[in-house]
Amino acid sequence: MRILERWLKKYVRYAIPADQLAERLTMLGLEFESVERLDEKYHGFIVGEVKTVSRHPHADRLTVCDVSTGKGTLQIVCGAPNVAVGQKVVVGLVGATIPKNQHDPDGPPFVLTETAIRGIASEGMICSEFELGMGKDAAGIMVLDADARPGQSLASYFDLDDVAFDIEITPNRPDWLSHIGVAREIAALTGKPAQLPTPKVREGRESIRSRLSVTVLDAKACPRFAARMVSGVRVGPSPRWLQNALRNAGLRPRNNIVDITNYVMYECGHPLHAFDHALLRGHRIIVRRAKTGTWFTTLDGKDHELPAGAVMVCDGEREVSVAGIMGGANSEIGDSTTDVVLEAAYWNPSDIRKTAKALGISSDASQRFERGADPNGVRYALDRAAALVHELAGGTILRGTIDVYPKRIRERLVPIRVSRTNAVLGTDLSKGEVTKALTSLGMQRVSAEGDRLRFCVPTFRVDIGREIDLIEEVARIHGYDAIKTTTTATVNFVHQFPASSFGDALRSFLIGQGYQEAITNSMQTEIRSSLGGATPVRILNPQNQEMGTLRTGLVPGLMETVARNLNLGSNDLRLFELGHVFRVDESSAPKLVENFLEEERVCLVLTGLVGPVHWSGTSRKADLFDLKGDVQDLLAKFGLDKSRFISYSTTNGLTDDTLALEIQGSYAGYLGKVRKEILRQFGVEEVVYVVELSVAALQQGTPRPFVPLPRYPKVRRDVAFTIDANVPAERIEETIRATGGELLQGVILFDVYEGNPLPPGKKSVAFSLELMSLEKTLTEEEIEAAVSRVVAGVQTTHGAALRGTQ
Amino acid sequence: MQSEIAALRERAEQEIRAAADPRLLEEFRVRYLARKGLVALLFDRLKSLPPDEKPRVGKMLNELRAFIQHLHDDRAAALAAARETPPAAIDLTLPGRRRFRGTKHPLTQTLDEIKSIFVAMGFGIADGPEIEDDYHNFEALNFPPDHPARDTQDTFFLSKNALLRTHTSPVQIRVMESTPPPLRVIMPGKVYRNEAISARSYCLFHQVEGLSVDKGVTFSDLKGTLIAFIHQYYGSSTRYKFRPTFFPFTEPSADIYISCFICGGKGCRLCKQIGWLEILGCGMVDPNVFRAVGYDPEVYTGYAFGMGIERIALLRHGIDDIRLFFENDVRFLNQF
Repeated sequence: MRILERWLKKYVRYAIPADQLAERLTMLGLEFESVERLDEKYHGFIVGEVKTVSRHPHADRLTVCDVSTGKGTLQIVCGAPNVAVGQKVVVGLVGATIPKNQHDPDGPPFVLTETAIRGIASEGMICSEFELGMGKDAAGIMVLDADARPGQSLASYFDLDDVAFDIEITPNRPDWLSHIGVAREIAALTGKPAQLPTPKVREGRESIRSRLSVTVLDAKACPRFAARMVSGVRVGPSPRWLQNALRNAGLRPRNNIVDITNYVMYECGHPLHAFDHALLRGHRIIVRRAKTGTWFTTLDGKDHELPAGAVMVCDGEREVSVAGIMGGANSEIGDSTTDVVLEAAYWNPSDIRKTAKALGISSDASQRFERGADPNGVRYALDRAAALVHELAGGTILRGTIDVYPKRIRERLVPIRVSRTNAVLGTDLSKGEVTKALTSLGMQRVSAEGDRLRFCVPTFRVDIGREIDLIEEVARIHGYDAIKTTTTATVNFVHQFPASSFGDALRSFLIGQGYQEAITNSMQTEIRSSLGGATPVRILNPQNQEMGTLRTGLVPGLMETVARNLNLGSNDLRLFELGHVFRVDESSAPKLVENFLEEERVCLVLTGLVGPVHWSGTSRKADLFDLKGDVQDLLAKFGLDKSRFISYSTTNGLTDDTLALEIQGSYAGYLGKVRKEILRQFGVEEVVYVVELSVAALQQGTPRPFVPLPRYPKVRRDVAFTIDANVPAERIEETIRATGGELLQGVILFDVYEGNPLPPGKKSVAFSLELMSLEKTLTEEEIEAAVSRVVAGVQTTHGAALRGTQ
Repeated sequence: MQSEIAALRERAEQEIRAAADPRLLEEFRVRYLARKGLVALLFDRLKSLPPDEKPRVGKMLNELRAFIQHLHDDRAAALAAARETPPAAIDLTLPGRRRFRGTKHPLTQTLDEIKSIFVAMGFGIADGPEIEDDYHNFEALNFPPDHPARDTQDTFFLSKNALLRTHTSPVQIRVMESTPPPLRVIMPGKVYRNEAISARSYCLFHQVEGLSVDKGVTFSDLKGTLIAFIHQYYGSSTRYKFRPTFFPFTEPSADIYISCFICGGKGCRLCKQIGWLEILGCGMVDPNVFRAVGYDPEVYTGYAFGMGIERIALLRHGIDDIRLFFENDVRFLNQF
């Protein structure tokens, strides 16, 4: 909201410079976003009177005008069609900066120079509303009121010798959405009182009740509804002071009646609405909820289907206003209006919020009502508006006020303990200091029994109902800076929080393996989140369909990252991500929220070379075994001995050559080569390898106990077999381990070969056997015996032929 | 005899220098060490010495022979080494064999720095789900239904009751539901807001939430702890201010601003000419939050705080576009 310095000073006296005021109130919690001197832009603009207008000799559409500026006369070439003798106009003098350029609407301001236009000298410029940055009208020059004085500065004509503050309120302080609200805060700062003017209402003889009846059918939605009436008014433009005040506060002047309702709202914070009495059928007002399927045209000309339960102000036959949000086109004030009904009500905030949200309307009124207006500010607002209507639009104020207020909302009496205040804040405040802070905000102390005080809180402070709310006010006024700082604390280390340390260790390990950590968007298109086959969680109100679901796995996000990097020429990629994935799950697996299953995963992707290109020519393309090796290292690092890889020959998933990883008998994830069809979806032509694992599964490792170092040397024997090519290496190794006996400590596959001179369908596999005893140095006989057992075992189990031992 | 030994030793030391090639070295060996060499001649005279002198002089002669042999051998080794053809010079300017370097995401780095400071101050670390229910994300945190405060956090909904958490504060609730006081914990994680994506905002970001609950915890403790954090993280000369604000789940509440670490408060592009940067929100835990988790607000008080990791990382590294964090361009990641 925009607050004007001159307007503020009507309610509170103070002498704090604008910048300081902004800083001090900001430090009280009322954020001043900007401070703007309104006349800054308008140096060198004055009022002129057009004395003569003649055709430009060399241009049909231009005129040459003599414009009196009080002290002298300027010759100005003008292009506007509406310029006429006798007009009071805005003259930009040579040297003035014109805020907007008609020929370049989005361009920068420009400085006016003395110039000749088509051969005729022009000593200034007659400006349009648009050029002045005061409105959209660019069609013609701005014509001022007849009482404008030639030579008068534009700033003085428009009351621009003022400062405008843009304030940003927190949702708990709707009372700040008015000049009196800000003035009250200044009062708390300075100790000088803030006061609204007392309206002088001179009523006529006729009673409002003879002209209007009000029925409230839903007192919960509408705890208070009040109305006044002024008859015989003349609707027209507001006087300049009122127009200026509204314009400078960022509102558009309309007509005197509507302007008054806006002015009073900006003054005291209570929204008002004005109806044309003649358009209220049956001269009745009924407050009720909308019937479903009703359409309604608001006064901005838009048609709305009313949401179920919307609270409406109706006349005898139809809806005339969306309560507390926006009036209707069917009853608005127009030029022919003579009798005005002024409405001031108090609406239930939650009703206003629901309806405003459903209609997609955020109006000055709805913003105030949904945060909470002052139920007891209704009469003041009505009286103030009625008095102003009488003053500015004439007519007679009808006798009496209709005020349907069945259950008075009283000021709250809120207790506060001085001891509790100090216990929360860490202060040492006295009873007097607490009292002084709160009374400076207009709260009255009604009782003081020992430590326990009670304060009467005005109803415009909707945020205060509890002791802690008062403690906050004390802290604010006392000043956060004045609260001392404690630099020691008691640390309690009873609770263990298991989170995050495993993630940290996992990250460190992967970074050590040369992987780069990525963080990708967890929201993605359904095509992506469905890739893995899980049912994705849908977002009901996504920003767009590209982000319509939550990821069910980490591969698609990293594949997008791979694609982006490849397109940018980064070809060798080793990336990982650690993050949550989500899916709809109807199984009995434990879930925190509904049927949404959430788990943490880690994903690695690998493409391109295994290492940077080197002059020695040692780099090569990464393959599946690079990734498998990294996973094996990971399993070793985290003590996951009870794990195994299982080959999947067929797959519906994302990868070919897929290996599933099982840890302690349960599925923990998979690795493989990303399938061609999937690559194509991401526009990737390179070969990409991925692994995705459950983080919970990786956490099952147990630390290995220390094993004393053997005192005897180990010996190595190599054995090579010729064997059917389709026997998996792992099977052979299992046989070796099973037959080697306890002396066999290690088995290393060091060569696999197919081709000449081996017959087709055969391969050669060569293993290093590591043999060792914990008790003694092995004899040659013992070694031979163990190797023979292994050879025999492999020969009989797999039909292998021994190629040799060494 | 003694002086002759010393003289010969000196002479050998002189002459070995002249043995510049194998032939000269052989002459040296023959002259001193051969069966009829100078050393042997001295040994021959040993017999004629009185018996009580023999052992002493004998020892000296042995040492002399060993010394000269040593001179000879060293020289021989040096000549042999010199005789070998010198190896082709290695071009040591050739680049070394490197490996791809792993990198921690800049957001993780920032978070780790923050975590380490709070861990040193005795905070544990907890986490919670990203899919939350209305109760944990809003209601238990004292956001009444249909309250305008909910508008400050544009929410992605998954069902009538389920949503993507808009802040890490629901973890406070989950931690307190499962843990009796006192406690002291920080809670990092991803949060989601339905905000248009631009250089300044993204639809998800990371927060660190902090919570400390005990008997006798005050606003004064809140200030002390967070000022300690600011001084550790931003440097001890950093100025700060606590500004009153509103959060539904804390009261009193504050936004913390620090003096801009680029311009020191004079005003620059980073701080938008204000000289101050907003980095943290905090406050005393609202009694309604304690009631929701079954803590007695008359017995326990506490403070909570929260900060956005992206914002801190952006400021710290002078990055001008938040989207860079989520694009994972390796040319970006390599810089950290």
